[in-house]
Amino acid sequence: MTEPKLTDKLEDSFARCRALDAPLADRLQAFADELRRLVPSFAAAVDTLVSRLAESNAGATAPKVGEPMPAFLLPDEQGRLVRLEDFLGKGPVALAFNRGHWCPYCRININALARAEEEIAAEHRHIAAIVPDRQKFAMWLKSDAKAPFPVLMDMDNGYAMTLGLAIYVGDELKHMMVTSGWDPSVSQGTDDWMLPIPATFIIGTDGIVRARFVDPDYRMRMAIEDMLAALRSAT
Amino acid sequence: MNREGSSLEMHHIRYFLAVGETLNLTRAAERCNVAQPALTRAIKALETELGGELLRRERALSHLTELGQRMLPMLRQCYDTALAAKMVAASIRKGEAAPLSVAVSHTVALGRFTPTLQELSRALPGLQLKLHRGSGSEVAEYLRLGTAELAIAGPLGEPWSRLDSLPLFEEPFGLVVSPTHRLAGRDTAEFKDLASETLLINTRCEMIGELRACLEANGILETAAHQVATQEDLLALVKADLGVAIIPVGAMETNGLNRIPIKQLNLVRRVSVYTVAGRRRAIACSALFNMLRAADWGFNTGAKQQARACR
Repeated sequence: MTEPKLTDKLEDSFARCRALDAPLADRLQAFADELRRLVPSFAAAVDTLVSRLAESNAGATAPKVGEPMPAFLLPDEQGRLVRLEDFLGKGPVALAFNRGHWCPYCRININALARAEEEIAAEHRHIAAIVPDRQKFAMWLKSDAKAPFPVLMDMDNGYAMTLGLAIYVGDELKHMMVTSGWDPSVSQGTDDWMLPIPATFIIGTDGIVRARFVDPDYRMRMAIEDMLAALRSAT
Repeated sequence: MNREGSSLEMHHIRYFLAVGETLNLTRAAERCNVAQPALTRAIKALETELGGELLRRERALSHLTELGQRMLPMLRQCYDTALAAKMVAASIRKGEAAPLSVAVSHTVALGRFTPTLQELSRALPGLQLKLHRGSGSEVAEYLRLGTAELAIAGPLGEPWSRLDSLPLFEEPFGLVVSPTHRLAGRDTAEFKDLASETLLINTRCEMIGELRACLEANGILETAAHQVATQEDLLALVKADLGVAIIPVGAMETNGLNRIPIKQLNLVRRVSVYTVAGRRRAIACSALFNMLRAADWGFNTGAKQQARACR
């Protein structure tokens, strides 16, 4: 018998953390704590990466409040090509960069966004997630999170890189991720080991960024209340 | 000091690619039109971004470290894709003509890609498609000359270092016969069933070498064979019962022919999307590339499963 992978052992904790009736930050923290308790060495390797990224201000060059969001043309999980303009024609949009279907934090995040979407859909405000995953995995992520919004596919992190949001995982963490059962190379269809820094941009109908959240610590995501407030005040 | 972010910055990558090609910091700086100290700083920053040294300096020449060699092709592909995304951002609003020139190997059935082209033409009403067909070496030549921006084909066997490829799907070789053939309707066939058959050989199939080796190893002699030069002709002659053929079974549309898996035959071909490193991709090419990369072609499902599906 092969030793069960860390990801299998964590599935119960994951389900519990995701279902918590608590703010997004608490649900993410609960999972991070559980991971740290079970595998302190993994958490330590993540801390090293995050502090390296934070120290050098990774993601700082991404579009800032008041700057235009660069246009894109990306396939959604159905294979339909979608432009940023398509969203802006309907109202302000929140664009949420996520790492992929395999990432527990992203699954919690997108599930929280799905709950939020119900609140704002009637107000002509929209949400879209962006991942570097291929179609099968983007579809899975969408249904796993019960997300009513599209999941766009940014293959090879091309769009993320133009925004200064692409990072290289590094050999040490790569090795730990593979042995733990988190392997983005399958869903990305490439062995690049590049990931986007999770980030959320609120964009007004004029294409200007109204609010943003960029944190190289991928365990941190924009608070749902902040996102909703920014979406509601955007025009 | 104002430190740059350790997310991957495009200009850092551009400078590194120039160093990788010239192996000389002065010439790389000239090529990128920057002062050498700026180039050196960018390489240092990229080394922080990637978490290791990329270059070893020895007098005028620079050598790539093991990490540098490993990262170079990957960074080149990522850079080209990101540059294409930037071009999209710049040209998306104009609604102008979107020319696209694609080369597809004649052994690859277009039917698999028509829904993708349909969607592309919906999203880009200015799409002007130029579709080239050819053998593997012709497809490679289209790319080399710039006649095609992107190609879809089996293994091109080209040693050209600027040819970038990413796998789309794999498909097993199988037997095709006409519906009136004595083997039609069989669940599987064996090589000994083919002893008395006339084989049709497409001499310009990308995997003709592998196929011939496989036939020879299984005692099938090519003396009793017809040779054709296009997949279309091959299928027409199979249909007319002039012979049977062993081809990648995804390569044919289901135009009434019978597909039969051959026991002991483990020949699989990989269909990939090809681009040329360092060439700019226009908006239609960039969108098509992303769609092809993202689509679910059943890659990683293995030949076994596909062989079952084609019965």
